[in-house]
Amino acid sequence: MTSVQQNWRTINVDALDPDSPANFDLSTLTPSAPSVATADVQALTAQIRQLLRGGDFEGALRGALDTAPYGADGRGKEIHLATVIEILQSIRQSEMSPILSRIYQSEGGSEVLDTLMKYIYRGMALNSSHTPSGPKAISPQPTGFSQISHRSLGGDTSGQAMSVLLSWHEKVVEIAGPGSIARVMTDRRTV
Amino acid sequence: MAPPEVHHLFHHSIADHSCSADRKTLAVARESNVELYTRSGNSYVLQDELTGHDKLVTGVDIAPNSGRIVTCSQDRNAYVWEPSPEGWKPTLVLLRINRAATCVRWSPSETKFAAGSGARLIAICHFEEEDNWWVSKHLKKPIRSTITSVGWHPNSVLLAAGSTDGHARVFSSFIKGIDARPEPSVWGERLPFNTVCGEYLNNTAGWVHGVAFSPSGDSLAFVAHDSSLTVVYPSGPEQPPRAIINLTTQMLPFLGLIWITENEIVAAGYDCEAYKLQGDEQGWQLTGSVEAKTRPGIQDGREESALNMFRQMDLKGKTKDDTKLTTVHQNTIGTVRVHAGGPGGVTKFSTSGVDGRFVIWNL
Repeated sequence: MTSVQQNWRTINVDALDPDSPANFDLSTLTPSAPSVATADVQALTAQIRQLLRGGDFEGALRGALDTAPYGADGRGKEIHLATVIEILQSIRQSEMSPILSRIYQSEGGSEVLDTLMKYIYRGMALNSSHTPSGPKAISPQPTGFSQISHRSLGGDTSGQAMSVLLSWHEKVVEIAGPGSIARVMTDRRTV
Repeated sequence: MAPPEVHHLFHHSIADHSCSADRKTLAVARESNVELYTRSGNSYVLQDELTGHDKLVTGVDIAPNSGRIVTCSQDRNAYVWEPSPEGWKPTLVLLRINRAATCVRWSPSETKFAAGSGARLIAICHFEEEDNWWVSKHLKKPIRSTITSVGWHPNSVLLAAGSTDGHARVFSSFIKGIDARPEPSVWGERLPFNTVCGEYLNNTAGWVHGVAFSPSGDSLAFVAHDSSLTVVYPSGPEQPPRAIINLTTQMLPFLGLIWITENEIVAAGYDCEAYKLQGDEQGWQLTGSVEAKTRPGIQDGREESALNMFRQMDLKGKTKDDTKLTTVHQNTIGTVRVHAGGPGGVTKFSTSGVDGRFVIWNL
């Protein structure tokens, strides 16, 4: 009688199985990142801004990427993302490739460019979701692709930021290869 | 260097392939069957078909000495095929898994085989004479996700396994009465079943696609989905390894790898070609592609007549046919295997992949 009344389909069987991955903390599988306080990220940002004002773009970029706060909370990560994007925007197009190849050839350079790639993708995600007029600005097209409309109405700055990120993306792939994209998709340490 | 020997078997993905010891027989996994090809002259001719699985066959391995073939499939079963006068005789092996089997390999001793699965375990199977039955024992802990590949140590006791939880692990698969007590090695001295002798994770914690012990068995290499190769040099049981070298590459991820010597590896994967890597405890580098890029006839080999050029421009809007890759394989390479040469130095290896080609390469 009871078995008829019980709605078996709604039972979460995974929760009852001790061997189920649902009862397993997946974060223990990944390398743990030490937690970083938001205040520390802010202090770091100030230091990097200092370098930027002094005209040391490469040092600022390298510094910002070496200290990527994987263990920070959402707010801390956002601050750091803003810093990295600011650096990327202040470097001239003609200087991108020389800076990138110098970083790539230095010790641990491949990993630094992978981190940069993460910030480029993160920046693109941010730009497409934070357009001033909100989600309404993205209209699905008959082609199946979404397009950001109203570029001229305040979407201009985001469009510009996107074009900066796209040219950085091109330059990073030229130097670090498609492998860097594969690593951004694979890496469990997100920025 | 002689050019590679290319055999385009069919227009379908090859999940796995294996050659007999004399290299005359080739077994390839095609959909839910395994096709057996026999070498005649310079080509492979379809000889026989092993039918029995009812889902995609994911692994096939021919034991070099006994000639027995083991196959595993997404139908959660494995079969051991033995030659008999009436043809190949299958024996069902109950793996006791509730997810697909993903890979299978005979141990070097050929008395047991390991089958990885999506059920977060590895089935180690051996033949029980008394019951006339294949028995499977499970390596379970601490695997947290699907096993993608297995690789045997030369002593037939240690087994390396790569998993989608990002770990490459070394287990003991010691079975009393089947295995001789192994010599103490860098991986450990006492090795009861399911001893975890090593557990390695690379920086990104990406899926591990392929694992392999070096010819001596004293180091372990694995390739992961973060386009990297990791080589582990253990120092002794219960101690941190002497060195873990992680080489990130510019290419797409590798799927399979083999050791050529103690200091050389060949790996291949999504880039559709095989690469040579070289190194030691100090570091590893990519030394280049195994393919000779100047092979004639692959790109702009033939002289185009002006008429032909304009005709192509008119028909296709371009003069060059760029629908073909410049590599021998036209799609992802899934399996890399040693074809000739021993532990001291491999001279030939074979690859197969999504494009249905089976290629023998000279090193």
